[in-house]
Amino acid sequence: MALPVARRSDLRQKLRPFLLMLAPVASIVLHIKVPLFSDYFSFLDPPLLVTVYFALLHRDAVQALFIGCAIGLAQDALSSNPIGQFGIVKTLVGYIAASASQHLNVENMVARMGFAFVFYLFHQALYAALGASLLGQQVSLNPAEAILFAIMNAAVAAPLFQLLDRL
Amino acid sequence: MEFTLSRYRNVTVLVLVLAAQLFLLAYQIKSRQDVRSIRVWAVTGVMPLTRLLDFLHDNTVGLIKGYSGLMEVKDKNKDLQAEVAKLKMENNFLRTELATADRAKVLALFPSRLPSKSIAAHVTGRGSDSSKVVFVDRGSNDGVSKNLPVVTPDGVVGRITGVYPDYSQVVLITDINFAAGVISQKHRVHGTLKGQGNSVCTVDYIRNEEKVEVGEWLFTSGDDRIFPKGLPLGQVKLARAGKMFFQEVQLVPSGLQLGLEEVLILLEGVHQPIPDHAPPSASAKLLPPPPAEGSDGPDSARVIRGGVATTDADQVLDRYRRIGAAQGHAYGSGGGTPNFAIDPPPPRPPAAPPAPETPPQ
Amino acid sequence: MPDVATLPADQERDKEHEVRKVLGEDPKAAANRIAVFRYICVAVFLYLLAGFWALQIRDPDYYAELAEKNYIRSQPLPAPRGRILDRHGRIIVDNHSSFSLYLSRDNLKEDHLDAMCSALDLDCADLQERLRRYDRTRAKYEAINIKSDLTSAELSFIEAHGGQDNFPEMEVIQTFRRIYPRGGALAHVIGYTGEISEGELDSADFVRYKRGDIIGKTGIERQYNDVLMGVDGQRRVLVNNRNKILKVIDHKGAAAGRDVRLTLDLDLQAVAELAMTDRKGAVVALDPRTGEILAMVSRPTYDPNRFVGRIRAKDWSEIRDNLDYPMMNRAIQAQFAPGSTFKPIIAMAALEEGIIDDRTTATCTGGAMFYDRFFKCNLRSGHGYVGLNRALVHSCNIFFHNIGMKISIDKVAEYAELAGLGKRTGIDLPAESEGTVPSRRWKMRTQRQRWFSGETVSVVIGQGALTVTPLQLAHSIGGLIRAGEWHKPHLMLDPPPSLDPPRKANWSPENTSKVVNGMFGVVNQGGTARGAAIAGIEFCGKTGTAQLASNDLIRSRKLGLQLSDNAWFVGFAPRVNPEIVVVALYEHGEHGDRAAPIVRDVVKAYFDSKHRRPQTLIAAAGAAR
Repeated sequence: MALPVARRSDLRQKLRPFLLMLAPVASIVLHIKVPLFSDYFSFLDPPLLVTVYFALLHRDAVQALFIGCAIGLAQDALSSNPIGQFGIVKTLVGYIAASASQHLNVENMVARMGFAFVFYLFHQALYAALGASLLGQQVSLNPAEAILFAIMNAAVAAPLFQLLDRL
Repeated sequence: MEFTLSRYRNVTVLVLVLAAQLFLLAYQIKSRQDVRSIRVWAVTGVMPLTRLLDFLHDNTVGLIKGYSGLMEVKDKNKDLQAEVAKLKMENNFLRTELATADRAKVLALFPSRLPSKSIAAHVTGRGSDSSKVVFVDRGSNDGVSKNLPVVTPDGVVGRITGVYPDYSQVVLITDINFAAGVISQKHRVHGTLKGQGNSVCTVDYIRNEEKVEVGEWLFTSGDDRIFPKGLPLGQVKLARAGKMFFQEVQLVPSGLQLGLEEVLILLEGVHQPIPDHAPPSASAKLLPPPPAEGSDGPDSARVIRGGVATTDADQVLDRYRRIGAAQGHAYGSGGGTPNFAIDPPPPRPPAAPPAPETPPQ
Repeated sequence: MPDVATLPADQERDKEHEVRKVLGEDPKAAANRIAVFRYICVAVFLYLLAGFWALQIRDPDYYAELAEKNYIRSQPLPAPRGRILDRHGRIIVDNHSSFSLYLSRDNLKEDHLDAMCSALDLDCADLQERLRRYDRTRAKYEAINIKSDLTSAELSFIEAHGGQDNFPEMEVIQTFRRIYPRGGALAHVIGYTGEISEGELDSADFVRYKRGDIIGKTGIERQYNDVLMGVDGQRRVLVNNRNKILKVIDHKGAAAGRDVRLTLDLDLQAVAELAMTDRKGAVVALDPRTGEILAMVSRPTYDPNRFVGRIRAKDWSEIRDNLDYPMMNRAIQAQFAPGSTFKPIIAMAALEEGIIDDRTTATCTGGAMFYDRFFKCNLRSGHGYVGLNRALVHSCNIFFHNIGMKISIDKVAEYAELAGLGKRTGIDLPAESEGTVPSRRWKMRTQRQRWFSGETVSVVIGQGALTVTPLQLAHSIGGLIRAGEWHKPHLMLDPPPSLDPPRKANWSPENTSKVVNGMFGVVNQGGTARGAAIAGIEFCGKTGTAQLASNDLIRSRKLGLQLSDNAWFVGFAPRVNPEIVVVALYEHGEHGDRAAPIVRDVVKAYFDSKHRRPQTLIAAAGAAR
């Protein structure tokens, strides 16, 4: 899967500032609003998908970690927990996704879904681990449910990434 | 050095960003203080955008539902519904007061016992973590402050835990950090409701000797100094004797059953009597009609509660009291010699509380 | 848009490429190695960061435990006190599950105290003072109990406000509360419990206890505190910054206190309690054969249940400022002139000393002059020609005044002290009074005056400086009717107390039966308590009417009831080998015959329950156990 270094720049997308601004905000709005319309959508994690998308798109670890950090902090601000928990997790997600994308083919739809799947699980695990170790939260992880939600997020990621590509 | 830093630039930045966030977390935990400014920015920045989603939702899902021509009416109707709910609560209070016999007393009390002053609010979003938290579009600019109760005419929704200029954070009745004083409708048993992080709440500190029935309505007791007395909380789903003196009681909260759109924030709570019958079914969106009497209902709860703590000494005393009564003997006074060897008549059972109506299901 | 080739990441990579070239490595393999190295760096960094976090943020004091112990919270596991049972095993005092509010001081915010105090009805100044005291003497990580026996309303308040955003320093601990009989029954015997005071902490009696302990304050609760009080357990838990328990470090279970069985019989006690309703005074019933106290009542009373936890200042001042002294155990602390109930002792002394015999008589005309002072008899028309028996049956003062002319005060004092008056009986209750037995030496010591013979004339009819407690009277008469054999009064049955052998005076049985027969006549031969006779039981007794002030004073000041005479009655049954002695003091009861029905009811209850017990009481006691 690793690509020759010479080909990287061809795959890099152009930066689109409006998308960079809009997508994270929209993802957060969706995340806090859509479950109110219907509880069935509460499994969706648009902020995570957007973080992964930007990381895969730009492949610049620094940029990706900042995007992840900003989205995470905004999520923290809208939660009842201390600010920083989501921020740290999404910073790491952004960094690792961007780093990994430098060595892997991320143009393929299946690969992108794979990324979404893996990073959903990574995100959940790290969030729980941080909560338990730093904040002493009582963590109850349901692996079967987490995998199911990861699959569903991966399924949503495919059309979402397509849509973002076209914007 | 410069070479090393530029060579490991990515890792360095990552380390700095993570460290900054860890310090931020550490500061909050150590000082037990919130970084309020970040929250204010986020809430003020993000929440107005949820309106857009409301608009989109109403124009898409709403259209599908066939209400496309009634958008304006629907909006108006929403506002009116909130207003009606508020007025109904006030109306219930007035009807309670007017039903009492002493009108003069009511008039004298009226200024000091105004019904709960409330403000309608729209739920703009839920918390971004797994806790049961929502945001509403009323904040300190509207007179909202921390710990105010949030209700719907169906029941209690939660309480305000965070206040921003135009928005507030509400911890829902189902959150693990939520607790409120409750009183049961039939036997006036007091307890404490606690959220469990799922759709059912538990009620603690109800002794095994006390009577709570499945299906019975529980109301706020006012004991917590947050919720005014008399707001419906929900119906008992499970009640059974537990270990270590206390019952295991579960309740299905009524305030969240129809979803969350419009809520009322009680700016000034007023305690109200506990109705003697169940609140009307949730779909009717009506507060229960006020009880005819202005009191707190039957005294049986106090009898039960007071009767719990007795020892054999109390029972022996009671036995001799009954012997004396049966023989017309005044202890320590002249007259005939009593016979203490007889068995006294059994004690009269305490007066049963009036039979409540069956709650409409 | 910047040229993609000039992006920093690419520059870095180009540099890396050059380095690899110089080193002569395969660029692809080197890139992989560097990537691996980079992740290792991140992992090592995160590991170090986690360590830093654990040390500095989460558990700094775990490692500096002795310094602060912020994160090791010690949760008390209160031990239930032993129960208090009657002689048949019926429960007098029990425990009930309750909740107490503890305040953890390590995360206490001073500005929260006002709100907490007002919501939980606590005295804020008092609480702050207690906090300061605790801060000086107890480790900061120890939570302190600031309110016991929380009501349902208080629990709701604490739970609703105990979250991180309100008052996280509040902590609810399940504990045990004492349940005492309602309405103040048995309050004086049993006493009550409360938090150890500063004064008690300094006293030798409580050297084993520490601040915050709940100890017996009065009565049996205090006397047998060491037996009743269990040993509290403790659970040490590791908590995080949000007060969540992470793990239990150690758990030392609580050891419950031992149950005690008293000599009291709830049947007699209940009757005595009911007989004293709306009356002021005391009742004591004891078994003269053993000294076991069967019933003890004092009125007015107080409700010890109000002392459970911390009594409110208002309630305390209400009890303390009550001029009827409801906290006083009149059975062992009230010292009043015994009136004519003292006459049996004088009769015994006179018989034993040979001052009177069967032939001794006196003529009562309703009053007589003794030492230039006119003394009235209780019957204005006079009792006529009286010997010892009639003098006891009708309580003729003139007969006993005549004895007083012949007997010295020191002889009176000798017999009274022999009978147990003028000194503590040694009952196992705190703060017993001594009473007063006047003598020449006593008067010289206390008043620096010599004794006047005229005073003896008053003392022999139970007036003057002579004072006794109801228990002393019961104890003394109980020994007298056993021809001078006194068993120390006691309340403890199990664990068995170590008892001294009875005191003996070896009085003549003939003289004893002369006095006992006189007391039989008081109830059964038309004497002063003829209304108190019990069919089928040889119930004997002696009335006593003791003046609190002279009749002239009452008339002149029109003070009415509060200075009217105290009514006494001491009764026992059966006449031969008595099993029970009962004394009733009815303050301001005006005449001894009004105290007699109180004693009669208790004696009747004794015999009725004795006959009933084999069938039902044993079963009931078994069920209670």
